[in-house]
Amino acid sequence: MKVKIGLFDFAGCEGCQLTVMNLEEELLQVLQLVEIVEFRELMSERAEQIEIAFVEGSICRPGDRERLQQIRDRSQILVALGSCADNGGVNALGSDRTPEVLRQQVYGSQLPHLYTETPQPLSAVVKVDYRIPGCPIDGREFLAVLQALLLKQQPELPSFAVCVECKLAEYPCSFDYGQVCLGPITRAGCRAICIDGGGHCRGCRGLIDNPRTSPYHRILEQYGLSIDEILDQYRTFNIGEQESGK
Amino acid sequence: MVPFTPLPDQTEPPPDSHWRAMQQTEVLRFVRSLLRAYDVFGAQNKRGRIVLDALQDAADLLLEFPPAVHSPKKFLFPNWDQLFRFKLDENILLQPETAAPPRIIFGMHPCDLHAVKILDDCLFEGETDSSYQAKREATLLIGVDCTPDEYCFCTSLGTDRIAAGFDLFLHRRDDLYLIQTGSERGLQLLKNHAPETFAGAEESPLPLQVKQCSNRVKFPIESLPSLMEEAYEDDIWQELGHNCLGCGSCTLLCPSCYCFNVQDKLEINLQEGQRIRTWDSCQFDQFAKVADGENFRSSQADRQRHRFYRKYKYLWDKHQRTACVGCGRCSRECLAQIEPVEVLNRLFAASPQPAISNQPGSEYQPQMARVLEVRILSEQDRLFRLQLPQTLDFTPGCFVELSVFGLGEAPFSIASAPDGGKQIEIVVRKAGALTQALHRTREGDSIGIRGPFGSGYPLANMVGKDLLLIAGGRGLLAIRSLLLAALQQRQQFGRITLLCGGRNIESLMFPQDLLDWHQSGLLDCRIAVKDKHNHWGIPAVDVSYLFRDLELNPQRTIAAVSGPPEMYRQINPLLFRMGLDGEDIYLNLERHMKCGLGKCGKCQINNICVCQCGPIFSYNSIKHLGEAIER
Repeated sequence: MKVKIGLFDFAGCEGCQLTVMNLEEELLQVLQLVEIVEFRELMSERAEQIEIAFVEGSICRPGDRERLQQIRDRSQILVALGSCADNGGVNALGSDRTPEVLRQQVYGSQLPHLYTETPQPLSAVVKVDYRIPGCPIDGREFLAVLQALLLKQQPELPSFAVCVECKLAEYPCSFDYGQVCLGPITRAGCRAICIDGGGHCRGCRGLIDNPRTSPYHRILEQYGLSIDEILDQYRTFNIGEQESGK
Repeated sequence: MVPFTPLPDQTEPPPDSHWRAMQQTEVLRFVRSLLRAYDVFGAQNKRGRIVLDALQDAADLLLEFPPAVHSPKKFLFPNWDQLFRFKLDENILLQPETAAPPRIIFGMHPCDLHAVKILDDCLFEGETDSSYQAKREATLLIGVDCTPDEYCFCTSLGTDRIAAGFDLFLHRRDDLYLIQTGSERGLQLLKNHAPETFAGAEESPLPLQVKQCSNRVKFPIESLPSLMEEAYEDDIWQELGHNCLGCGSCTLLCPSCYCFNVQDKLEINLQEGQRIRTWDSCQFDQFAKVADGENFRSSQADRQRHRFYRKYKYLWDKHQRTACVGCGRCSRECLAQIEPVEVLNRLFAASPQPAISNQPGSEYQPQMARVLEVRILSEQDRLFRLQLPQTLDFTPGCFVELSVFGLGEAPFSIASAPDGGKQIEIVVRKAGALTQALHRTREGDSIGIRGPFGSGYPLANMVGKDLLLIAGGRGLLAIRSLLLAALQQRQQFGRITLLCGGRNIESLMFPQDLLDWHQSGLLDCRIAVKDKHNHWGIPAVDVSYLFRDLELNPQRTIAAVSGPPEMYRQINPLLFRMGLDGEDIYLNLERHMKCGLGKCGKCQINNICVCQCGPIFSYNSIKHLGEAIER
């Protein structure tokens, strides 16, 4: 009996679902073990019962809450897929102002159908069992979490920071190039892909369980950042962590 | 393939080393030839960093470079190492895959080669780690000299050069390279892949090169054990814990850190998988955490302390060397700028100076000791039994400063065994004004004394072993102290052999003791004098002659050698030839220990003070010091 899984989306770029699709060869192997019963990007069918639901996106539009609740009701296990679902992600970037001000600033007053509330993670509405962080998610981590769930084990995320994967891959440290990097406090699992690409870590996978924020902030100050600039660094993906980071 | 043998530990180039000169172009040709037969890994420039990686083109290979980002640990003890494969549903183990393809690491710096020795020590000790062994056996190591950068501090640890432990080593000399072979495999490699070079004339050996590092530990590294002993509760660990990001870069990049995690990785089909070993770090949150959530090293301060103790204390206690090779990788990549050299120097600066101040009369002012007994040993030697105000704590080989007001003071070895009491025996050989004055003292007189000073033979470490004691001339003083201490608890030791040499019978320090020991049956006591016309009728030979029919078990034997410098040059090679390890050979390197406080500088051997770190040293702890034996 194959395990029934579904993929769902709310406000987001669909990049995480696309990452799952891009697994291609591995996905075909996975299909020996699971049956995809609902996935808007692949099919139009709808399922009554889902054993594992992977949900992408954040909750911000009218009707989102109800639809998420229905998914929760139909699913045995619900997994937040990607940053937007996990912690609001980049969608929450505008939460330093009211939705009305934000809408006015972006769209003007002419587009009432684009009504949104402040984007929230899934956990603000329903119980989230597990999470796969990242913007987008890492395909291999998706497979590892799915494997664990199929074996009825607790999926585990790395507890160490992106620095570890960066050092293992022998990438040059962003700080050496004068770029502020959130690698020292951000959860690993991405294989430091952004540093590999010549960029720096913006913290899309969220903070590690025990981020050493005070030594980290001291280092940022040594690199000439003010408190506001430090908070700006967190803001892209870690709005919720911003306060605790203070 | 030539069978694998663990590395010998020595400072001298092996006598069977071959030396060949090679032009840069020949090196290039050699590398090209190697590439056709082997996987070759070497230092290359990647994204502006020096990285050890699989070599595609010989022209990309760097021969002179500062330490690469990762050490060769990544090939010999890789981060992702499959231990075996298994099938899940049938619950069976598939054949472990330990075979490693033959390969070459071209570009091992001396510090990296030292780090491999540390990995060997740890991974071959007890149960041999077969996965590591397979890679080690399949890998040829080619050393090159390095260009230290501002983070390197190998010169403080004596790891800036190496005499063995490689298959080949390329020494830079002016505009060419001098290739030294370090193994039969290396020799064959050179014969097969650089035949023209090999046909050339043999070059004379190079003295081991000494590097210049501006980053230095500002105290003799031999002081580390006592320094670390006292530093456990130091506030510095809290400070490091406060600054540390816990990212683990220091240990991941360390060439000798080998702590690991073992986990199962399943194939996507969930039917089979592999058990793999990955690098772990004592700096990580979950490292010492157990299933019920308890974390046995929960603070970052404790983790940093643990790291420093593993590098500078625990391995020293076991093998008398640090688990750090001074490559600087940890500090080079530490965002929090935690630097071992700075930490050690700060600990040293904060440590009580001198470290021995708790001992009686350790400052310049002597106490008065009463002469209890004067025994005439010979025309020139008198033994004094002295009574001190306090009990004395010392180990065999330690010394005191005796003084006579008006004539000054001089160091004398303690000739009696440490017994926890207030009495010691000192032998004074008549020479200058001070010793003549001492010879004139009688029972009941008082003389000035300071000490005891120094660190002697570690008797506790010798328990359960066979002792080979070798004394020449006045060296018998320290050996007598050690021997008497061992005889006090004779059953604690295996065979005890004493080899004692002198110019003639008259020059032997304790002739009666020697005869008594010879007849006692408690030890094998052999004596040699060079004088042909001696009245004991013993063959006129030198002490090395006594080795001729000596049988010993090198694994069980600890050698204590005490005599003039030329004796070490003569005896040490004999001991190595018999299979003794440098850790198990203790030498008495007495110098003019004028102050005993590590200050006057008169007893210094290179950068260490004999009066504080010695006068008794293990061979391994001083082998990097040019002045110790060779002068």
